Amino acid sequence: MEAVQVLMDNLWVAIGAILVFFMIGGFILLEAGSTRMKNAGHVAGKTIFTAGIGTLVFWAVGYGFIYGDGNAFIGLSNFFYGDASAADGGLTPAVDFSFQVMFALVSLTIAFGGFAERAKLSVYVIFAVLFSAFIYPVVAHWIWGGGWLAEHGKQDFAGSTVVHLTGAMAALAATMILKPRIGKYNKDGSSNVLAGHNQVYTTLGVLILWVGWFGFNGASTFGVADGFLGFVILNTQLAAAAGAVAAMFTAWAKTGKADVPTTLNGALAGLVAITASCGFVAPWAAVVIGLIGGIMVVFSMQLFEKLKIDDPIAALSVHGTVGVWGTLSNGLFALPALSTDIDWGQAGLFYGGGFTQLGVQALGVAASGIYAFVVAFIILKIMDKVMGGLRVTEEEEIMGLDISEHGSYGYPEQMALEEAKLTTAATKEKFS
Amino acid sequence: METYESIRKWKDEALSSFMNTSISLNKFHDQVMLKVLEVAKGKMKQSTPPCEFTWFITGSGGRFEQGLISDQDHGLIYEISNEENDIYFKELGEEISYGMNCVGYPYCNGNIMSSNPTWRKSVEEWKIQLIEWMKNERWESIRYLQIFYDGRVLYGNTEYLSDLKSVIFHYQLQHPTLLQRFIANVKHIKNVIGPMGQLLVEQHGVYQGCVNLKYSAFLPYVNAVRLLSIKEGIFETSTIDRIDRLKGKDEYKEMLRDCKENFITLTKYRLSLLNAQNYDDTHYLNIKILSKEQKKEIKQILKCGKRLHDEVIELTLAKN
Repeated sequence: MEAVQVLMDNLWVAIGAILVFFMIGGFILLEAGSTRMKNAGHVAGKTIFTAGIGTLVFWAVGYGFIYGDGNAFIGLSNFFYGDASAADGGLTPAVDFSFQVMFALVSLTIAFGGFAERAKLSVYVIFAVLFSAFIYPVVAHWIWGGGWLAEHGKQDFAGSTVVHLTGAMAALAATMILKPRIGKYNKDGSSNVLAGHNQVYTTLGVLILWVGWFGFNGASTFGVADGFLGFVILNTQLAAAAGAVAAMFTAWAKTGKADVPTTLNGALAGLVAITASCGFVAPWAAVVIGLIGGIMVVFSMQLFEKLKIDDPIAALSVHGTVGVWGTLSNGLFALPALSTDIDWGQAGLFYGGGFTQLGVQALGVAASGIYAFVVAFIILKIMDKVMGGLRVTEEEEIMGLDISEHGSYGYPEQMALEEAKLTTAATKEKFS
Repeated sequence: METYESIRKWKDEALSSFMNTSISLNKFHDQVMLKVLEVAKGKMKQSTPPCEFTWFITGSGGRFEQGLISDQDHGLIYEISNEENDIYFKELGEEISYGMNCVGYPYCNGNIMSSNPTWRKSVEEWKIQLIEWMKNERWESIRYLQIFYDGRVLYGNTEYLSDLKSVIFHYQLQHPTLLQRFIANVKHIKNVIGPMGQLLVEQHGVYQGCVNLKYSAFLPYVNAVRLLSIKEGIFETSTIDRIDRLKGKDEYKEMLRDCKENFITLTKYRLSLLNAQNYDDTHYLNIKILSKEQKKEIKQILKCGKRLHDEVIELTLAKN
C-alpha cells in the first residue's frame, strides 16, 4: 500500500508539473492579448525562449541554490540536478526537479510582464539567466529550501511570496528603469489607455492559468495523502471565483462599466491571493481572501497608473500587491489544525494565534520583496549601462518589436496596412 | 510656353546626359523643379505673388543627394500672413504639388509638400510652429524638425530659411535635452553586418539578395552628420558640405576621417542603379553582381557609417 502511495505521489506531482508548465501557455495568451498587435508575435514568442533559458539555468544552478546544502542564505550543492533514481519513499529527483523548475519559469514570466512592449530582446536573454540563478532561487531557498525564513515558520503553501511577489518585484524594477511606453502619458501627466489587442486571448489565457493553478496549488501538497489535494483545489477554486466577482463589481461600482480586463485580473488576483493560504485556511476564508484580492487589484492598478508606473500586463498589481495580501492572509486565517497542530507555523489572528504568524508573514514578505527588488534593480541598472540602454529605440518601439526584434509580424496581413499608416505618420520616407 | 507635359518630356529625354555625377544630376533636378514652379506661378489668377516668398526643398533633394527618382518634399515660407496671401499661397502650394507629380516626382507619403498647411506658412507662423515642435518633443515633431533642417532654398531669398534654422540652433543651445530627443529619433539603424561579419541581405521578395542602401548605408551617415550640424549651427544641407564644415573643427576631425570619401563612393553606387524603375529600386544594391573588391568596399563603408553613428550618439549623450 505504501509503495502504491509513493507512486501516486510521484504521479500527482508529475501531473502538477505539467499543469504548471501549461500556465506558461496561459501567460502567452494573457500577455499577447493585453498588448498591441505590433508586439504580439514578440510577446508570445519570447516567452518560449525565456522558458528555455530559464530551464537550463535552473537545472545547472537554480535548483541547487534552493535545495542544496548550504547556509541560511543559499544552497550550494545539487547542481545539474536530476537522475534516473527510483522513488525511495518520496518524490524521485526527476519528478521533484520537474515540478520545481516550472515554478521558476512562472516567476520569470511574471517578471517579464514588466518589460512588455519596450525592452530589447537581448535584455530578455540576459535577465532570464540572472533571474533564474540569483533572484528566484535565493528567495525560494529562504522560504522553501530551509533558509532563514523557513526556520521562522513562514507559511507560503504554493508561492504567493516566492513565485508571485518575487516575479512582481523584478517587474517593478524593470518598469521603473524602462519608463512608460511611448504614448502612455501625456505632457500634462494624464494617462492614455493603450488597449490590448485581443480580449478573447486574454480571457482564454486567464482560464488556462486558472486550470494550471490546480497543479500549482494542488500539487504543492507533494502527494495524495488523505486526499488533501482536493481541499487545496476547493480553496483555489473558491478564491478565484470570489476574486473575479469582486473585481467585476468593484469596476462596475467605480465606473459604471463591468470592464473585462479588470474582471480577468480579479480572477487572477483571487488565485494569487489563495496561493499562500490554500493549505491553511477554511473554505469560507478562501472566499474572503479571494474577494479582498479582487477588490485590491482594481485599486492597485489605479494607483500604479497614477504613480506613472506603466505596467501593461498589470503584473505589479496582480502578482505583487495581491501576492503580499495572500501571504499576510495566513496570519489572519490559518487554522490551528493546519498550522500549529502540524508544526507549520502558528494559527492566525482570528484563531487565537495572536500576531505571531502575521508578524512572521510580514517579515517574510518584506525581506523577500526587498531582496528581489534591490537585486533586480541593481542587475538591470548595470545591464542598462553596459548594454547602452534596456529599451529599444523610439523608432523600433513605434514600428513594433515583432519587426524590430524578430523581422516578421505576428499579424502580417494586418500590420501591412498599419505600416502604410505608420509611414505616413512618421514620415519615414523623408529621411532619404 | 512651358507646360508640365513639356517639362516632363524634356526631363525624360535629358536625364541620361546628367547622370555622370551626383552633382550634375542634382543640379538637373533643381532646374526641373524650378521650371515646375514657374508653370505653377503662371497658373495663378494673380500675375505676381502678393508678397515675397521662399520655396525650399528638403529630404534627399534638400541635401543635394537625390538619385534618379525621388518623391517630392518641399515647403513654402512667405513674408506675411493675411487673407489675400494665405489664399494665394494655398493655391500655389497645391498647384506646385500637382505639377511636381505630373513631371515625375510622386506625391510624398509623409505629406511634406507645399500643399500641406503644416509646410506652408508665413515667417512668423513658421517660428511659432518650430518652437511648438521643439517644446512638445513628440516623436513626429522631432522628425519634422530634422526634415526642416535639411531644407534648401530653390527660389526666393535665403534669409527666411536661415533665420528659421537659427531659431532651432539657438533653442537647442538653451535646451540641451533637445539634442537628446534628436538622437533618440534617429537612433535606430538597420544593422546590415551580421555577427559573423557577413552582409545581411533582404531574405525575400523582389529585392532578395540586395542590401538596403538607404537604411543601412545612407542614413547612418546622413543622420549622424545632421545631428552634429544642428549642434554646431551649420546651415549647409548636403552631407558632404556639412562634413567639410565640421572637419574645420578639431574635435570632429578624427571622427569624420574617411567619411567624406565613403559617402561619395556610396553616392556612386547609388547612381549605378541605373535601371531603376521606381523610387524603391534606387535603394537596393544587389551584392551578387559586385566584385570581391566592391563587396569589401561596401562592407567597409557600412561599418564606418555604423561607427560614426554610434560615436555621434555617444559624444552627444556624454556632453549633456
